[in-house]
Amino acid sequence: MNNELQKCLELPKRYNNIDGTGEMAMGLMGLGFTFLNYLSAILPKNSMWRHGLPSMVLFVGGLLLMFGVLHWGPKAIKQHITWPRTGYVAYRVGGKSWWTMMTVAVVLGAVPACLICFDRRHDWRSLTWMGNVVIFAVGYGYWICRFSREHSWKWFVLLFMALGLFAIALIAPADFKGLWRPMLAFVCLTWLGSGAATLYLYIRHTQPPAQKAE
Amino acid sequence: MNEQLRVISELNRVIHEPGRLMIIALLAVVKECDFLYLLHETEMNKGNLSSHLARLEEARYVEIEKTYRGKVPQTLLRLTRSGRAAFDEYRKGLKAAFSSAHDTGTRQADMKKLKSPLLESKPATPRQGFHNRFMG
Repeated sequence: MNNELQKCLELPKRYNNIDGTGEMAMGLMGLGFTFLNYLSAILPKNSMWRHGLPSMVLFVGGLLLMFGVLHWGPKAIKQHITWPRTGYVAYRVGGKSWWTMMTVAVVLGAVPACLICFDRRHDWRSLTWMGNVVIFAVGYGYWICRFSREHSWKWFVLLFMALGLFAIALIAPADFKGLWRPMLAFVCLTWLGSGAATLYLYIRHTQPPAQKAE
Repeated sequence: MNEQLRVISELNRVIHEPGRLMIIALLAVVKECDFLYLLHETEMNKGNLSSHLARLEEARYVEIEKTYRGKVPQTLLRLTRSGRAAFDEYRKGLKAAFSSAHDTGTRQADMKKLKSPLLESKPATPRQGFHNRFMG
């Protein structure tokens, strides 16, 4: 009984990614972070963009640009494509599950941050990012299993992701420290591609109602 | 009257109707949505959905707001505080009824008596399943 009712209660959550914007947003966010990190790694040590105010401007500017794209991009797709076709939904902020998610996110962020700050002997930064990549891939599998079963082709996306990560680990010339960047970029590009495919299929299979909505 | 049957007889009948239960369950987890969304998710026809919404509005469980998105008319729907409380109460009642049925070992028989759409076989897909059970 509860399972059936629970499935109905989860329908709005599934609806969030009906047009692939959830995956695309995750992909763009990850690519943005990877790009900013890569930029800070390849800049010469004496470059002005690595020190003081310019480095802050670069970092904050990059973040603002990224969050701008993340905020307005999916919103534009929802407004012009999704809402006229299959309806508008505004989600609740707050509630038990939302706070649980936020707490887990804060703890998962705070623990590696503390390790990076206080334990200089180990390279926690690389280890954290490697762990994140694995968590993202496993989390994606869980998400497909729970919220995206109607798109069975996403299992192949997950398989492609796993094989790709394995291949990068084998053939990438980078050492352990730099390995997480191509891995994260690959995961995020796969999400972006999967989201774009979902959007394409959504547009192809749904038409806006011929008359007014009601 | 048997305690378990008493709990079942006291279930909220406005919510217990399958179509309305589906609407309430969809509205319970969102802040607000429009008519088109409910139409898409429930796969009811417009008339059917409108009549269920009117009944829920009459019971003050759902708030209906007529507005415009650009030049297109939009009907926004949200669950009221009393609607949310009634739904929580309904879930608790249903759970209590079946947990007591389980305790007395008569669960299967009572499931048939109640004929609740929520208890039938597994759907092919969640949405189709709900539609078939509720509307079919």
